[in-house]
Amino acid sequence: MRAMLTQENLSTAVVSLIVAAAVIIPLVVLFVSSFKVLDPLGWDTTWGFDNYVIMFTDRIIPKAFVNTLIISSGSTILATFLGVSLAWINARTNCPLRDYLEPYNLIPFFLSPFVGAIAWHNLGEPQTGLLNNWARDLLGIDGALINIDNIWGVIWVTGIFFAPLVYLFVVGSLRRMDPSLEDSARTTGAGLVRTTMTVTLPLVMPGILSGAIIVFVTSAGEFGVPFKLSAPYGWETLTTQIFSKAVGDDANHNLGAAMSMALGLITVILIYIQQRYIAPRSFTTVTGKGFRPNVLDLGPWRWVAFAYNLLFIAVAVVLPIICLLIVSLHPVWTGAIQWDQLTTINYVKTLFWWRPEAISAATNGIGNSLILSFGGASIAMVLALVISYMIHRTKGFGVRLLDFLSVVPIGFPGIVLAMGVLITYIQTPIYATLWILMLGYITRFFPYGQRNISSIMLAISEELDQSSRMAGASWLTTLRRITIPLLKPGIFAGWILLFIIFLRELSISIILFTTGTETLSVGVYYLTNFENEPLTSALSMAQTVMLLIAIYVFRRVAGREALTA
Amino acid sequence: MCAAETSRAYLEVEHLVKWFGNDRAVDDISFGIPEGSFLTLLGPSGCGKTTTLMSIAGLHSIDSGRIRVGDTVFTSPKEGLFLPPEKRDIGMVFQSYAIWPHMTVAQNVAYPLEIRNVEKSEIDDRVAEVLKLVGLTDWADSLATNLSGGQQQRASVARAIVSNPRLLLFDEPLSNLDLKLREIMRVELKRIQSEVGITAIYVTHDQSEALVMSDEIIVMSKGKIEQRGGPVEIYSQPVNEYVSNFIGVANLLKGKVIDASDGHGNVEVTQNGHAITVPCRIGPGISAGDEAVLSVRPENVHAEREGSANANVEGEVTHAIFLGSYVDCRVQWGDFEWKVIAHPRTRLRAGEKVYLHFDPQHTLAVQP
Repeated sequence: MRAMLTQENLSTAVVSLIVAAAVIIPLVVLFVSSFKVLDPLGWDTTWGFDNYVIMFTDRIIPKAFVNTLIISSGSTILATFLGVSLAWINARTNCPLRDYLEPYNLIPFFLSPFVGAIAWHNLGEPQTGLLNNWARDLLGIDGALINIDNIWGVIWVTGIFFAPLVYLFVVGSLRRMDPSLEDSARTTGAGLVRTTMTVTLPLVMPGILSGAIIVFVTSAGEFGVPFKLSAPYGWETLTTQIFSKAVGDDANHNLGAAMSMALGLITVILIYIQQRYIAPRSFTTVTGKGFRPNVLDLGPWRWVAFAYNLLFIAVAVVLPIICLLIVSLHPVWTGAIQWDQLTTINYVKTLFWWRPEAISAATNGIGNSLILSFGGASIAMVLALVISYMIHRTKGFGVRLLDFLSVVPIGFPGIVLAMGVLITYIQTPIYATLWILMLGYITRFFPYGQRNISSIMLAISEELDQSSRMAGASWLTTLRRITIPLLKPGIFAGWILLFIIFLRELSISIILFTTGTETLSVGVYYLTNFENEPLTSALSMAQTVMLLIAIYVFRRVAGREALTA
Repeated sequence: MCAAETSRAYLEVEHLVKWFGNDRAVDDISFGIPEGSFLTLLGPSGCGKTTTLMSIAGLHSIDSGRIRVGDTVFTSPKEGLFLPPEKRDIGMVFQSYAIWPHMTVAQNVAYPLEIRNVEKSEIDDRVAEVLKLVGLTDWADSLATNLSGGQQQRASVARAIVSNPRLLLFDEPLSNLDLKLREIMRVELKRIQSEVGITAIYVTHDQSEALVMSDEIIVMSKGKIEQRGGPVEIYSQPVNEYVSNFIGVANLLKGKVIDASDGHGNVEVTQNGHAITVPCRIGPGISAGDEAVLSVRPENVHAEREGSANANVEGEVTHAIFLGSYVDCRVQWGDFEWKVIAHPRTRLRAGEKVYLHFDPQHTLAVQP
């Protein structure tokens, strides 16, 4: 029996150490490196605060810092407005066909914002943008209707792509709210608007705040959108600056580390506030009972709500995808559709790796991303299963550490963690292999898989395991015949979620890839940087189609609840 | 030789100690029971009863002591022995029933046999037999989640006994059922246990469950055994204040033993300055001059309007609640309030003056 205790302690301690090593070492290395100063010749380093001083004295970095704050604030406001209004329309009004709209409202959550930015660039670029062209042809406008290539364009694209995050945080509380809370406000004489403002919204406020903080943090860590839409036109952000310090001609890993520390500090404080103070409150205001929520009759306004929702789906999903498809079928994109020139050559070049004209960055990307997505999701879910089991089913030493470690990665943007991973492993054999990418992916994203399993594990009684042991089954047999079958929905939902995340991953990959280990999103980056828009659009379409298939499978197995991780 | 074998207990727990952090959850307890008997561990939450059961089950380790069933030692830290739960051949019924939701009732019940590699045809026969015993034959192929609470309980019992284990453990199995069902299942569980003839240990905080089902009861508190005995003995001869308070309802008064011989004697109780002497039975371990607690069950207090020679308490009725077959009364005597169960014929009413007297055979002096 003492042996059993030791075994339990030993295994939790070992797993804790492995996870701690994966999560903590890159962050510590990042911290330490930020105090290493590269001498002007680039040969030697000394200790000092120079990297932090440079962040204030540099010509670009302070502006990038301000731009990051503006973009994050702007996209938070836009995403919160869209997310809350769409959630309210879907959960609490008689908007027509609302049950059919919901899955489409959530699609942007799964697609790549980077590809969204590419699509919107092709829609809203002043000269070659499809929308601007249509405006000139149909409305007779001179010049451009919109210009997407600036800081406002970044806010627009991140705002619509992250709106589903707020939606998911809010819609559950709106659906589960005890209707008597609102009914009692109505009986005191408060009107509909007043009730909504004084009762309904305050009750879902923790959800709104959580969603808003997550959007702010995700926007601050977003690399692809500002890289495509604002950085080339003079609006750098922290992420685009970190990227240029990690690779390229003026690479300076230590300065990159200092900027990563600054970005990470902001995000980790915000996530701490969200996890510690805001998330717990959302459970106390809304009861878990299955109420039928009040459904508001909007009268003729329901058609306005319907149109509003359709418009969101159009700008967030339909227009970008159609635009990508159109551009990808042209040999050159000039801004106008040329029906007589449509071609599939761009798909041949990006997808068919055995053809001589194939572009290796694109074809490598597809293969590597599939390997990383299948392998990474599988390894991460095994790890997530082990960690969840230890947290909820054992009392060994190290369980509290594990619990803590499985929140930490959420606090750091992928690009920050990747910077740490790069500096830590650049001189080891895993650098320049897919393993370093896989390590980065799993370290950053295993908490998402772990939450999927944990939520189910919390709901199933430990006695279900124990009774199997009493029936004579060993620990392993119990795991195989009872525990894992019961967790299967959570395991599978978590696996597909990670598969989707890994398939579109950009901000870790862009730091850690080298020639030969490009991923799908890195392929898109390569094409947009060194080739042309039609080729970029073709690979973007390929990625989008793969993601849409995965989303469809995810909906079939997981349903709505699994998303609110 | 034969006598020696029969006197040896089937299940034996010796000097069991289990720590949880700095708490001694089970504090050096020992007991043994014969084969086929039904033992209940009774006590409030935190008394160590569930910990004792889990120790027997092997679902957690023990710090010292020894547990043996038949010729098999389950655990003995001193000898470095710990048999994992799956090797102990025990059936267990959990509080939450723990019926696996991804299997049918028949699959749930067949599981222990599959683990033991029993042949398929034999499994089918045995499952049918056990489902008949618990009355679930018609539900064999329904998913466990479609069963009611009482049916899940029956399925859980079927699964626990299907492999003819050495021991059947119950961990508060009825506490999630409503009162009506609980009363039915009490009788059912006892019936199944005695039909199968299996040795059973039952953990509960519900004294009436313990009284109805058990051959023997062990009353526990703070990790120790307070008293062990048959239901009638525990109820009518509690050894101390704790047990008489926990089992049923009792009037408890502090007093001093004046004389004691042969299990009978007198206890002096002082209330509001005047002392009365009550003739009573004297519990074990108490002698003249000791502090003791006088314990009288409400149904053994007789209330009369007229005073008499042996009625030495004079009080006033403060409540009299008519409950059909009896009247639940409170009689104020100085600072002390007597609980009295009176016959409806007496028609006692609040405000009346009454005289109480106690039958010495049913009045007991116990250890404080």
